[in-house]
Amino acid sequence: MQSKPIALTILDIVSVIVLGISTYLALVFAPTEAVMGDVQRVFYFHIGTAWLGLLGFIIAAIAGIAYLITKDLKWDRFEVAAVEVSTVFFFLTIVLGSIWAYPAWNTWWTWDPRLTTAAVTELIYIAYFMLRQGLDDPDKRARFGALYTLLGGISAPITFMVIRLFRTIHPVVIGNQSAAAQGGFSMSNDMKVAFFFALFAFTVIFVDLIWHRVRLGALQEQVEQLKLKLSN
Amino acid sequence: MTDKKSHPSLLGATLAIVQKDLAAEFRSRELFSAMLVFSLLVIIIFNFALELDIDVRRTVAAGVLWTTFAFAGTLGLNRSMAVEKDRGCMDGLLLAPVDRSAIFFGKAISNLVFMLIVEAIVLPVYALLYDEMRIFQPGFLGVILLGSIGYIGVGTLLSTMSVQTRMREVLLPILLFPVAIPVLLAAVKASNGILTGAEWAEIVTPINILILYDVVFLAVPYMFFDAVVEE
Amino acid sequence: MFLETTPDTSNYMIAGYVISFLTMGIYVASLYIRNRNLRQDQQTLEDLDRTESKK
Repeated sequence: MQSKPIALTILDIVSVIVLGISTYLALVFAPTEAVMGDVQRVFYFHIGTAWLGLLGFIIAAIAGIAYLITKDLKWDRFEVAAVEVSTVFFFLTIVLGSIWAYPAWNTWWTWDPRLTTAAVTELIYIAYFMLRQGLDDPDKRARFGALYTLLGGISAPITFMVIRLFRTIHPVVIGNQSAAAQGGFSMSNDMKVAFFFALFAFTVIFVDLIWHRVRLGALQEQVEQLKLKLSN
Repeated sequence: MTDKKSHPSLLGATLAIVQKDLAAEFRSRELFSAMLVFSLLVIIIFNFALELDIDVRRTVAAGVLWTTFAFAGTLGLNRSMAVEKDRGCMDGLLLAPVDRSAIFFGKAISNLVFMLIVEAIVLPVYALLYDEMRIFQPGFLGVILLGSIGYIGVGTLLSTMSVQTRMREVLLPILLFPVAIPVLLAAVKASNGILTGAEWAEIVTPINILILYDVVFLAVPYMFFDAVVEE
Repeated sequence: MFLETTPDTSNYMIAGYVISFLTMGIYVASLYIRNRNLRQDQQTLEDLDRTESKK
C-alpha cells in the first residue's frame, strides 16, 4: 500500500475549508426566509446532500456497467465507494428534509414522489450491501453488485413515474406555501450564493470521501489476498 | 454474447427447460401447493386485518390481491431456484451446450406458469368469497398477466443471485421488493382503475408503465444473465 | 401572501445542522477505524508470512 498521496491531503484540507465556508454562508450570510424562518437554512445542506445521492447513484450504475464490460476490479471498488458515500448522504437528505418538513408542512413525512423515491432508493442501497455481504468470492460479489446497481438505476426513475400517478398534487399542509412546498421559493441573490456554494462544497467532499473509500477498498483486497496466501 | 453457435435453437432449449420444470413440478406438486395454501392464508388474514366490509373492499381489492401475489411469488421463485442449486441441476444446465439466456427464459417461463396457475385459482376463490365478479374482465386479467411478467422477469434474475449468497431465501424479498415497486404499484393502479370503472385515460398510463417495465426487465436479464451464472 | 411574522424555527435548524455534522463525523470516523484495523491486519499477516517463509 503506497502512502497517502499529497493531492489527497490537499483535497482533505480543501474539503474541510469549503465545508466551513458553506456552513457560514448557509447559517450567517444567507438572509432568513420570511415565511418559514430559520429552518429554511437546512435547505442548503439538504440540496447539497441530495445532489450527492443522485450523483452517486448515476456514478455507481455507470461503474457497474464498466465493470461488467471490462471485468476490472477497480471499477468495483469505485462502485462500492460511490454507493457507500451516497448512502450516507442520502440518509442525511431524508433526515434533513424531514426536519424541514415538520415546521413548514406540519408533518414529518408525506408520500410524495420525491420522498418516496428517495426512501426506496435508500432501501436499494442497503439491499446492495446485504447482497455483497453474503458473497465471499470477489469476482462474483463484483458481478452481482454491478448488476444490482444497474437494476436499481433503471427502476428508480420508473418508481418516480409511477408514484406521480398516485400523488399528482404535492400536499400543501399550511395555506400559501405551495411554492415553498415545491422547493421553488424565490431565492434572493445571497441565497443563490449560499445554494451554489453548497453544491460545490459537497461535490468536493464527495470526491474526497470516494477517494478515501477506494483506497480503503484496495487495502481490503490486499488483506484478503494475504489471508488467502497464508491459508494455502 | 449470444451469437455463439448453439446446437439446439434458443427456443428449443428454452422449451426443454420449461418442460423439465413443469414435469418435475407436476410429479411432486411441492411448490404449487405451498404457493396456493400460502396465498389463501394471506387473503384470510387480510380479511380480518383490514375488516373488509363492502365499501373498503372495492378500493383495496387490487392492493390485497397484488400483495398476495407478490408474497406467493417470492415463495415460488426461491423454491424453484433452490431446487436447481441443491440437486446440482444448475451445474448440469450450465454444462449443456445451450445459450445461457435459454436458461433464463426457461426458468422465467416456468416461474411465470406457476404464478399464473396460482393466480388462476386465487382469483376465482377471491371472487366467490367477496362476490367480486368484476375480476373476470379481459382488461383486469391482462393487467394481471403484464404485472406477473415484469415481476417474474426481475425476480428470476434476483433469485438466481440470492440463492448463491449465504443468506439465500431471506435475501430475495429484500433485493426484489425495492426494485419491483414500480411494477407492483403500476399493476395495483391499473387493476384498481379497472375494478372501479375508471376512465380509459386514467388506466392507460399505468399500463404503459407496465409494458415499459416488462420490456426493460426482460431485456436486462437477457443481456446480463451470463454474469449471474458463470463460476 | 399574508403578512405574518416570521416564525421562530431556529431549533429545527440547529437540529438539522447538528445531525449533519454528526453523521458526516461518524462516517469519517468509520473510514478511519476501518482503515486502521485493516492496516493492523495487514501487519500481522505480513509478520506471519515472514515467519512462515523462514521455516
